[in-house]
Amino acid sequence: MQTVHWLRCAIVLAVLIAITAPAHARIKLITLPPRERVEIQLDNLGATLVEEERIVPLVKGENQVDFSWANTRIDPETIVFRVIAPVGEKRLDVKVLSVSYPPNEAALVWAVASSDSGSARVRISYILGNLSKSFNYRAIASRDESSLTLSEYIRLQNFANEEFGSTEIWAGFGKEFRKPVGLNETKEMLMAKFPKVPIRKTYTASVTEFGYLDRPQNKLRVPMHHVLKNDKGNGMGAAPLPYGKVRIFIEGSDQNREATTFLGEDWGKFTPIDDEMKLYLGVAQDIVVKRTIDRNDNERVAGNLFNQFVVIKYEIENFKDQAVTLDIVENLRYIRTEALGRDTGRDVQWELGKDTTFAGGPDKGKSTIDQVLFHVKLAARGADGKAEKSIQKFHVILKNEW
Amino acid sequence: MKTKLSFCLALVLSTLVSGRNVDLSTVPKRNTVQLTIYNSEDLTLVRETRAVTFKKGINPLQFSWANTLIDPSSVELRFLTSSDKLEVLDTTFPHDKPQMLYWNVQSETDGEATIQITYFTSGITWKADYIVIADKDEQAMKVDSFVRVFNNSGEEYEDAQVRLVVGTINLVEKIAQLARIPMPEVETLATARRNELKNAAAMDAMDRTGGRGGVGLAAAPKKIIKEGLSEYFIYTIEGAETIPNQWSKRLRSFDAAAVPFKVQYRYRPQEYGEQLVRMYILTNDKESKLGTTPLPDGMVRVFRDNGRDGLSFLAAQTVKYIPIGGKIELNLGVDPNVIFELIKLRSYRDNLWLRLNNAEVFRQVGGGVEIEVNSTVVGWSDHEVYTQRIRNYRAKAIDVEVRRSFPGHVVFRSMLNPTLFDYQTVQFNATVEPAAKVDRLFEVLRHQGRNAKQNNVTLEKAEINP
Repeated sequence: MQTVHWLRCAIVLAVLIAITAPAHARIKLITLPPRERVEIQLDNLGATLVEEERIVPLVKGENQVDFSWANTRIDPETIVFRVIAPVGEKRLDVKVLSVSYPPNEAALVWAVASSDSGSARVRISYILGNLSKSFNYRAIASRDESSLTLSEYIRLQNFANEEFGSTEIWAGFGKEFRKPVGLNETKEMLMAKFPKVPIRKTYTASVTEFGYLDRPQNKLRVPMHHVLKNDKGNGMGAAPLPYGKVRIFIEGSDQNREATTFLGEDWGKFTPIDDEMKLYLGVAQDIVVKRTIDRNDNERVAGNLFNQFVVIKYEIENFKDQAVTLDIVENLRYIRTEALGRDTGRDVQWELGKDTTFAGGPDKGKSTIDQVLFHVKLAARGADGKAEKSIQKFHVILKNEW
Repeated sequence: MKTKLSFCLALVLSTLVSGRNVDLSTVPKRNTVQLTIYNSEDLTLVRETRAVTFKKGINPLQFSWANTLIDPSSVELRFLTSSDKLEVLDTTFPHDKPQMLYWNVQSETDGEATIQITYFTSGITWKADYIVIADKDEQAMKVDSFVRVFNNSGEEYEDAQVRLVVGTINLVEKIAQLARIPMPEVETLATARRNELKNAAAMDAMDRTGGRGGVGLAAAPKKIIKEGLSEYFIYTIEGAETIPNQWSKRLRSFDAAAVPFKVQYRYRPQEYGEQLVRMYILTNDKESKLGTTPLPDGMVRVFRDNGRDGLSFLAAQTVKYIPIGGKIELNLGVDPNVIFELIKLRSYRDNLWLRLNNAEVFRQVGGGVEIEVNSTVVGWSDHEVYTQRIRNYRAKAIDVEVRRSFPGHVVFRSMLNPTLFDYQTVQFNATVEPAAKVDRLFEVLRHQGRNAKQNNVTLEKAEINP
């Protein structure tokens, strides 16, 4: 048999055109059908499907079609061979008879029967390892941080040891691309750009989620977030936003808006349509929140059954030059553990007490049975540089405990 | 040399007994060989026939199997012709030649006879796999079923009739152990040898179908004949196959086009984890253009026409044996366009009972009697009100099935027309239109402590307010 120089990923058609006795004295002609079309399908979460089309000349009768791949991670179990359409006028009836797998080789051999001599367009699909995708975002907030422009990129990393010429690339949603993908190349492509998406800038104090900045002084950590909603009202909402890194910038002054400043970066979680993406910006040093338990006593109902009365007090100061809204989040189970010194494991049955001072009460849309959220409007610090201290109380009655 | 098995008719009987080292033998070739391969065990029954010329008197036959995985205790010799004139006198396993045996055959006549040798070998296996391609509207699919035969037995069986057994058999010892050599250490063939075999296999394929130089009609894929036998199903591959040692070969078992199936979303934590998964569900029956054979265990790879002249890879999943009439359930995983949330809306306790310490007396709270100090809560009922929220961002309505288990003494209250899947598992269904959100409300009442009288779920029709 003559030597075949295997391509990294090659299809070889071996046509035995003359065979004479003895058995091994034969002449073999090999054709190397090039790729006519390649498509990289990135719509599966964990696997990349490559589809390639080649025009394969076949002789009438049985043909041997070799497919081999060197130093690439093609999963041979996933290879699908399909005849798409005949080339030219002649309609060939082409059938795959069997597939043989030689030992210790990254290769397989299709036995293909053709009703006549001619060319067939075949499509070979396979899962290819080390050809992966990821998503990342670039967000530029407006100067007043009321909106941002979000650019969504797909990044294709080709460490599959195989290069692709002009290739169609599709992520399962959004734009389709046609690009060459070279060896060891990383290609980043803009999937979508969402201009001027309204955002909320939030300041949040949550002892369970973000903890204390200074525990001995009961000062809570107050992280800042940009929150945007992936919905149609914001010009988004056509598809979920995949998980990915978000780099956040803020635009420059009116004189030079392009001179952006880097604010930070965060991992944007997978965000379904109509859900919110929350981007962490860092800790607000100029908003001070002290949290103390102001009251903790119980009232016996019967036997060892009692109701627990808890008042949590917040002393809040805003040292910023502008007014902000602070979100305070409390977890009811955590409060019970603090109050009783133990976790009973039962659901918390609770009522809002009359000593609660938060205007408007809990945010019903964002509170759940286990967690409440209050908003507090904080004025900017005064002209003298002093911050007004706001004192708020959350009065909760934990019922039917023992 | 394609075979490591050899069968010799030794002309000098005294070699065996006297220890002489000069020997002469003839080597009758195989006439036919049949492989019956079991996929539940590493076991293949080989049945081969050879023509042997016997002389009148005692004829020594030598059978050897160097570097193969044959169970020596399973080798049997039978006479298919002249059986009334031939008899095996004895069988000898020489101590110094471990993979060899001798038969002494008494013949009453001079002449040719057909003999059959059967034995078990390991190293030849088969497995099934399936490729399904759903159409872009997800109404019907194409199903291709394959069988792949692996030969790591150390022996090449040329032009063998291949039969594949679907079913589970019982073995008391592994054939590979009986063969007394480690399974994976089959001889590694040199590259040149592999190429030679590869060429030979290709040549063989050409010979069979008249494919040389474009003469002859297009060959059809080999038929695989399926038939039931006892508790098993046997697939017989049409014609003969040659699978060189260390090669494997995949053949189409059957295919079916336009197989109807349905798409269902399921929440079954015990089966699929804590997530809502998308399923393709079809039935192995004639109405579904399947049902000609049980489907052996195997990997199913699921694709879908992506509507852009290409495929999407959806999932790869192993399925267990599916009998005729059985369901094929393919789990495609989580759908990012369907959001499934369980939200607890309310939680409270009532029906509280106290026990007076050291006394078998109970009283209900609120009964108007003075409360004793020395008593503890011993019974209560937890009420939890939930909404099962489902958001569908797909372009088609979806059918969702939810199963939730509630251990303990539970009353499940709702207007969802639920059913009990088992004594503690509630099942209900929901249809969600495209771009719609539904809230399915229910209340779980758990009787706790002494209030718990049973360990099961009772369904109760009740209007639940959010």
